Parts: sequence; C-alpha cells; structure tokens
Amino acid sequence: MRRPTGRRSGRSPVRHGLPFLTLALMVAAFVIVPAASDRSISHANLYDISQQVASLGTLVLALGLTMIAGEFDLSVPATYQLGSMVAVTTGVGSPAAGVVAGVAAGAAAGVVQGLVVTRLRVNSMCVTLGGYLGIVGLVFVVGHSSGVGYPRFDVGARLEQPLVEGVISLRSLVVIGCFLAVAAVFTLTRLGPEVRATGSDRRAARVAGIEVERLLVGVFAASGALAALGGALQGYALAVATPSTATDSLIFAATAALLGGVSLRGGEGTVAGIAAGTLTLGVLAELLAVMAFGDYITSLVTGALLVVVALAGAPDLSDRLVELLHPLRASYRLRGRPVGADDR
Amino acid sequence: MTESDAAAEPLSLHRRAVAAAVTGWLGAHRTAVAAGTWAALAALVAVLAYGAVSTDGFLTVANGKAILASVGVVGIVAVGMTFVMLGGNLFSLSLGTTLAVSAIAFLDFLHLGVAAAAVLAAAIGAAVSGAQGVAVGAFGVNPIVVTIGAGALQEGVVVKLTGGRTIVPSAPLSSYRFLVTPLLGLPFPVYVLAGVALSAELVLRYTTFGRELYLVGENRRAARAAGLRVAGVTTAAFAVAGLCAGVAGILSGSYNQGASLTLSGTYTYDAISAAIVGGNAITGGRGSVGRTLFGAIVMATLSDLMLLRHYGTGAQILVKGVIVLVFVSLLNARRGGSDG
Repeated sequence: MRRPTGRRSGRSPVRHGLPFLTLALMVAAFVIVPAASDRSISHANLYDISQQVASLGTLVLALGLTMIAGEFDLSVPATYQLGSMVAVTTGVGSPAAGVVAGVAAGAAAGVVQGLVVTRLRVNSMCVTLGGYLGIVGLVFVVGHSSGVGYPRFDVGARLEQPLVEGVISLRSLVVIGCFLAVAAVFTLTRLGPEVRATGSDRRAARVAGIEVERLLVGVFAASGALAALGGALQGYALAVATPSTATDSLIFAATAALLGGVSLRGGEGTVAGIAAGTLTLGVLAELLAVMAFGDYITSLVTGALLVVVALAGAPDLSDRLVELLHPLRASYRLRGRPVGADDR
Repeated sequence: MTESDAAAEPLSLHRRAVAAAVTGWLGAHRTAVAAGTWAALAALVAVLAYGAVSTDGFLTVANGKAILASVGVVGIVAVGMTFVMLGGNLFSLSLGTTLAVSAIAFLDFLHLGVAAAAVLAAAIGAAVSGAQGVAVGAFGVNPIVVTIGAGALQEGVVVKLTGGRTIVPSAPLSSYRFLVTPLLGLPFPVYVLAGVALSAELVLRYTTFGRELYLVGENRRAARAAGLRVAGVTTAAFAVAGLCAGVAGILSGSYNQGASLTLSGTYTYDAISAAIVGGNAITGGRGSVGRTLFGAIVMATLSDLMLLRHYGTGAQILVKGVIVLVFVSLLNARRGGSDG
C-alpha cells in the first residue's frame, strides 16, 4: 500500500543519479570557487577531504543502513565515542585487540537496541535516544568526564600517514574497505534487497518470507559495529578519546545519508549513494575551510543543508506544491495521501 | 445533580469539569500504563525513597526547595515538549537551543523594558519553533531531522550575531529583580511553571486546538481525512513548545544574569525524559501536562539525589539514558498486531 509503483519507479533513475550529480557539482564548486577568489588547492586539501571521509564515513554508513531498513539510529554518535573509548583503553598492548573490543562493544549496543525495537515494537528514534544518552553517559563514566589519552602514538602515525599519491591514508583505506564490503554484501547476497524490502514495506517483506526481526537486529548490530569502528580508528588517530554530547557528527551523518539518496521513509538508498553523499559533505567542509569562513558559517551551512535535504525528500512536499499551483482544488487535501507515508 | 442544576449554577459546572478532568486523567492512565510500567515506577520510587532516607541533607526543607527550583525551568520546557509529543511528532531536539536563543534575546532587549523584552524573547522562541512546525506539519518532514538541523542553524545565527560572547543584561538588575526574587520562600520559576502548566492543560482540554492536537497525534491519516488542519495544528504545537522554551529562557537568562549558547545545557534531554517518564505516549495522542509534571518532578528528585551523592555528569547522563530506555520500552511496547 505504497505510492503507485509507476510513479515511484519513474522517479528512480533521477533518484539514483542525483547523489552523483550533487557530488559532481560540489567538486566543480571546489575547483572553481577558490580559484575565482585567488586561493589555491593542493594535495593537502585532498588529504583533508579523505581524512574527513575516513573519520566520519563509517558513521554515515551506519546511519544510512538503519535508514534504508526504515529505522533511524540516533545513537550512532554515542556508539562512535564508545568505540573510541573502548579501543583507547583496551588497545594499549595490542591495537588490533582494542579495535576488536571497540567494535564488539558497538555491536552489542546495537543488538540491545535492535532487540528493544523489534521485540517491543517501539519507535526506533525514541529507543536510540535513550541508547544515545545511556552510551554517552557510559563513555563519560569510563573517561571520568574528560579525555583518555592513548600512549601509542606510533599507531596513529601509521594510520594517518599518506600512502597513495599523498592523499589516501591507511585509515581511509580501511573505511573505503568497509564501504566496499557492505556494498558487496548488498549486491552479491540477498541481504541488500531484503533490507530494502523491510524498509519499504515491512508487512510485505514478512509475507515474502523475510525474517524481519532478525534482519533488523542484524542491521542495528552492523550500525553499532561500523560506528564503533570509525570511533576506534579516530581514537587511535587523535591518540585520545573524548566524551562529548555534541551533535555535529549526527548532523554530518544524517545530511550525508540524505544527500546520498537514502530516504527517511525507508527502502531507498544504495551504498554507492551513501559514499557519494559522504564525499560531497567532505568536499563541502574542505571548501568552507579553504575559504576560511568562520565557524558559524559551517554551522549555518550544515544546519541549512540538513533542513533542505530533509525538505526535498519530504512526503508531503509534492502535495503542497500541487496545492500551491492549483489553489482552487481545495478538495485535494481531503483526498489524502498515499497510505503508509505517515507511519514513521 | 441534574443538567438544569448544573446550567443554573456556573460554579458547580466548573466543579464538574474539574471532576471529569480528574477521572479522565485517571482513566487514561489506567488503560495506557501496563503492569510492567507500574513495576518500573515502583522500583524508581523505591530507589528514590531509599536515597531519600540514606542521603544526608536530602530530607530538608532547603533541599525540597532546591528540587522545586530545578523543576521550574526544566518543567516549563517539558510542558512545551508535551505539545510536540502529543501531536505525534516524537520530540524536538532543539528546544534547549531555543531556550538559549530566547535568553540571549531577552537580556539583549532588556533596555526596551522588561515587558517588551519578554514578549520579544518569547515571540522569537515561538517563531523559531513554529517554523519547524510548518516543515513538519505542512511538508511531512521528519521532526527529529528538522529540529537537529534547525538547532545547528540557530547556533550559527547566534554565533554570527554575538560573536560567541556571553550576552550580559542591557539594563540594571533592579528592573527585572522580581524574576529572580523568591516569592513566599519558593523561586519565581515555580510559580511561572504552575501558571504555564495550568494554562497548557486548559488549552489541551477545553479548546478546539487542544482536542485537534490529540486527534492528529492519535491518527494523523484519520485526522486529515476528517478535514482537520493537520499542518496548522502541528505548527501551533511547535509554536507553543517554542513559546515555553522562550519563557524558560527568560527565567534562565535573568537567573544567570548572562546568556550564551551553553545555557542550553541538557534541557532538551531533560524535557524529553520528563515527558517520557511521566507516561505520555511517544507517538502521540495520549498524555497530559500533569503526567509531564510528574515526570519532571521524578527526574529532578533523581538528579538532586545524584548531586548530593556526588555522582559525576557521566553517571547522571547514564542513569537518565537507562531510565528513558526502560520507560520508553515499557510504556510504548505494542502488543502484537500492526507492523511498525
């Protein structure tokens, strides 16, 4: 009981192409705008972009996966910090063990929240808000409300050293690897279509034989693990894990996912799109940095961008536009809108 | 008492309305709250009671006043949050920021006079939040995403306008001293909260807007089909929430005699926790201001206990998170049937 399929599939090519078009436009702006104002871009700027993607890429992927499945994991910024804190505190002897412990902690947080969402059928935004507060609180407790340093500076240096063309670091490669791995799972196995089907019409997915509950718990676990992995690498790279209640990373992740063609209604979005969205925001952040705008501009731009992309994908936008264009068709509102669009 | 008696005597009509309100509240409470919730609530009360007797300095008049004082400002924001929640829009993640924005505006406009500054500050709060309500109500944008984005936008505007500095009152303390002077031994915000809560409950119960808000929250599709102005009701609900945040900002700004973005603190999460623990349905349609007040008092008592026992910031956030998680799960678990 969704929108008529004709309308939906008719929009699909645009929808799939849009993230890449946006990325291309952003790259063009990145080349043109600094040149027009006599600023030059160098390898260092490209390195910055890849580092931005490296630090927040898995977070976007984590949130994007839950969004494709028709849920929304508000706790990812907290899980990110959890991964960072666990890795930094347990990974002094063996960095790899620290990453594993961090990822395991993140996955566990995801499983718990996924179970609450699926077993008790509670709105995932509310569950993960509680999860967010709980996990952030936990990180504060473990870190004694301040940062915990990581004595192994050599690990961070190795992760951050530019390898490929002076642009891509080992950390970027790991994150790129994550994207490729998830993309492979999504395209080569049935999981991709199943997650999308679960996100777009849960009842139909169940009728089609998909084990919706188990799948969703798995998606939340993957979301937690990916966010925690990004955090663990970030902790090593900065050689410190700091508890924080800032929502910047959540704004980045939500904006990037929406830019990447993931719909808040669920069921739509691809890993490639999410990657494109992440890269677009990374390029934008670097553009703002190159132009040396104040912090407030960054805050304004990211906030406005999130509102705009959310508005662009809003279910009622087309209805309101029709109303505006046909003011006499007052009865339009009474015809209602497609069933299911409301059920967030 | 017969109908004619009631009509002849307005006072008894009023009394009947109050009685109906009380029984309505109890009835709604009984149906909505499952056994598990009572258990969780009992556990929470037991913890509070144990803490009360075992913590030095808890059972004192001064501490009681401290709890009430802390309920004041948070409670006003929580009343606003209730409107967002009742209308089926989950919660706003930027009411704390709006509180700070209104506080800054109030202190900056104080030279125009307290009344003018207060009206302007509250109006800014209502307008900022109402605009988000338009996006949510008219276009169906996800409320969480809109309010996160709007929060960043507000921060950007404030930093641009203030340069990130703390704004100090633009008029001497004598002009707004009544806002920070205790009345009959209780802090001024407590009285404001009482007034705000009472008028909010009256609006919810006895106005068309209030009844439409419940209907929209209960079933948006049905409300739309019935010809209710869903967009208007949602916008109004967000505007009321912003108005409450604005009033809270005025009180908070004048109390601190200075305002910056850091004033937002944990108000957003505290208000959400209060509304959830009080037993309002997170997906809308069921709940009341009374429940939110109850939740706010429970959470404030808990915070006070943790402060007296020297718990750190982290432990406080952790406990709040766990409580939110538990109460969200118990109060809103759907018993089979429809798909999520």
